Amino acid sequence: MSDKIKSGKEVIDDFFAEILNIPDLHEETVQKLITLYATGKLTETNLQNALDKIIEEELNLMEKEDEN
Amino acid sequence: MKIKSITLKGIRGVRNTLPLDLNNRSILIFGDNGSGKSTISDSVEWFYSDSIEHISSEEIEKRGKGAIRNIFMDQNDDAYVDIKFSDSSHNAIRSIDNAAKTYNSNETKDFKEYLEDSQAERLILRYNQLVEFIVATKKQKLDKLQEIIGFSEVGNIRDLLRKIGGKIKRNIKSEQFDNQKSTKQSTLIENLGKPTYTTKEFIDACNKLIKPLNLNQSIKTIADVNDIIKSIEEKDDNKVSSMINFFGRVSETMKLVKENMDQEYINYQNYYDLFSPFQKEPEKIVKLSVLNLLEEGIQILRKEIFKEDICPLCEQTINKIELIRKLTVRLDDLSEISSEKEIIDEKASDLKSALQNNYDNIRSLLSEKLLSEAELRSFKELIQEIENNLKTFKDELNKDISQTEPLKALSLIKIKSNKLEFLIELSQKKLDELLENQKKNLRLQIYTKLFRANDAFKDYRKIEKRHEILLKQQNTFESLFSDFILRQEEAINTFLDLFSHDINDFYRIMNPNENVQNIKLVPLKDRTTDELLGITIEYDFFDTRTTQPIAYLSESHINCLGLSFFLASVKAFNKRNHFFVLDDVVSSYDRSHRTRFAKLLIDKFNDDYQIILLTHEQEFFELVSSSIVSKGWLINEIGWNKEDGTLAKTALIDYRSQIEDKIRKRDKSELGNLIRKYLERQLKSVAYNLDCKVSFRFNNLNEKRMAPELLDAIQSTLNKHSKELSEKAKITDFKGLPSFIANTTSHDNSFQESIEDLEVFWEETSKLIKIFYCNSCNRFVSISNIEKGNKKISCGCPDLTYEWKI
Repeated sequence: MSDKIKSGKEVIDDFFAEILNIPDLHEETVQKLITLYATGKLTETNLQNALDKIIEEELNLMEKEDEN
Repeated sequence: MKIKSITLKGIRGVRNTLPLDLNNRSILIFGDNGSGKSTISDSVEWFYSDSIEHISSEEIEKRGKGAIRNIFMDQNDDAYVDIKFSDSSHNAIRSIDNAAKTYNSNETKDFKEYLEDSQAERLILRYNQLVEFIVATKKQKLDKLQEIIGFSEVGNIRDLLRKIGGKIKRNIKSEQFDNQKSTKQSTLIENLGKPTYTTKEFIDACNKLIKPLNLNQSIKTIADVNDIIKSIEEKDDNKVSSMINFFGRVSETMKLVKENMDQEYINYQNYYDLFSPFQKEPEKIVKLSVLNLLEEGIQILRKEIFKEDICPLCEQTINKIELIRKLTVRLDDLSEISSEKEIIDEKASDLKSALQNNYDNIRSLLSEKLLSEAELRSFKELIQEIENNLKTFKDELNKDISQTEPLKALSLIKIKSNKLEFLIELSQKKLDELLENQKKNLRLQIYTKLFRANDAFKDYRKIEKRHEILLKQQNTFESLFSDFILRQEEAINTFLDLFSHDINDFYRIMNPNENVQNIKLVPLKDRTTDELLGITIEYDFFDTRTTQPIAYLSESHINCLGLSFFLASVKAFNKRNHFFVLDDVVSSYDRSHRTRFAKLLIDKFNDDYQIILLTHEQEFFELVSSSIVSKGWLINEIGWNKEDGTLAKTALIDYRSQIEDKIRKRDKSELGNLIRKYLERQLKSVAYNLDCKVSFRFNNLNEKRMAPELLDAIQSTLNKHSKELSEKAKITDFKGLPSFIANTTSHDNSFQESIEDLEVFWEETSKLIKIFYCNSCNRFVSISNIEKGNKKISCGCPDLTYEWKI
């Protein structure tokens, strides 16, 4: 019986292992999510900060590209 | 993996050292409340997870580490938990120093993997986890069940994905991107003569703008625009352009605030229409205050801040589980108010967030250096008025619905449209004047237009990019959430299907011959979103399918369900560890459930698992110990004193094995006393089961009854109700023995008893007790198993029955 049942950790690990197979995702967001989970730092605050940082980085990149 | 030994030093209640030599065997540990027995389960939890959850909820920063060390420990000493396992390569010591820094002595890769794997296993069940399950609503039941089966983190990730997705969606709405973009396009139209959405359109329009200057260069990239601006700029241009830009910004910002606020007024009116009627209904306000009180109360009870069975508010004695159950029922009744309040709070939060964006834009204008110039003082004051208006608006949203102060009507806080329009007109006028002055200077005119268009297009691109990323993030989180809930649902359904069988099996062992059958855990889904909302328990009650355990089952029965959940998950998840800790889980079980609970552990888990069973219930301890000794269990007691804190004590209960051991070794020291204590304890059980009457005594004195008194009471009861038992037991013949032995072994007496005397005493004692005790089901004959029709009593199974007159 126990072989068929997934523990909570297995459910989460499987989700993160297969997350990139989900179509049409924002890759940078997913990468941040995977990194936070892998380093044991997946909290609401950390995730929100990471999402804000993605926007900031993309805006900075756009600005840099415009300058060159 | 089983445990060979656990040694604690300076942990929680243990001041010095507490060694537990288990040698892979199960153990029953008795300790009074406050003796520190939970230190053992806390230590195991800390060893595996480096935190203790029920402490870390109160001490979040240090994850409970501040409370792990015993406060009387020498500052220079480390406190530690030393666990030795059946596989010695995993032996490890987790220690903590005075600065709450923790260390692990085993740094091998294997051990790290083992610790990580153990996170997914079910090693500890505490009493309060069962209580929480009993009183849970369907949603809480899902959460609690997930906690019991190790799915808490799954629920947390699900909530996180949903929360972040919802937050992004609300941010997109509150930032009103369309308004922001349209304002920037207005500036672009004003300066370039047409809207420009793409870089190409912008560059083409810029080239058209600079054409009259007949420059030798054209614009190919956005960077070229900056170069052109610099190349045509002359001394003092920047000052004029800054002025033009500033008034342009004021005009833009005020237009944006005006457009945004039109939407916020509608939102505020909706908020007002919910808030005000709610606040005017005293009954709702009372309910809301009660709701807050009940939620706080339940938190206090669940955290076990009060160990005793008292109401923390009125300090009256009340069963804690019963109190939590009553509070939960009342909370359920108030769930409608709670949802209504949640909707109002969410509206306030969205409004605050939208207002903050406008407020920040105004504040940004006010930080402009130009406003410090004297000629712009009145202009500055006008902008400050708008800032104050928005602040008043924000203050309204911070009002507490349960207080009497009403929300101001929209008309009283609305920014007067003429104020905004006046500022828009004034800034536009200033802008026009500045532009008019430039008319004779084509270069300056083009320079200013290019300067403003460049800034507006940069802003437009930023707004567009931000909007685009937020939309992508929103879609990403929605997709992730959908995928995740499918996985969660699939895993839970598989779990529930397979578990229902074990749960039903375990429950039925603890509750045989009862009318509860076919227990099944069933998921409940939201009809519109398909999201898993909760779990309900279905079972046949007198052949009728029902779903509310609290309504029909007693506290003991519901606890049996909670325990069955845990044991089923142990069976499924504990792949590395073949041990588990049950910390005081039988507190609310009645006598028959306690016996069957012990039987369940022995029948289903004793062969494969090492069980660490902690209890503060003397009666349960005595009841269980006699049946587990023969199964190889260890029995221990722990106590507490001021000097050592929690410490191990020699077990008093294992009389039978001690007596038999002494007889085997022909050691008569203390043997008489041990037999007497054994006899007294067993006679108490006989008297209890036959409802024998004894004279009244207060509290502890009641426990100190000697064998002769108990034998008299039993004899008298048997004379009245059962000639068969009376003749079989022959208590009158036996009665002299305990007194004789007590006199010869306990006092100065010239007669020295021999080992043979004591052997006879033990033989007669065992014979007597055997008459009342069934070795098949390990129970005493009891009047609770009376067959009135046949005038018989039994132990509960067919092997021991006697006639009994009523």
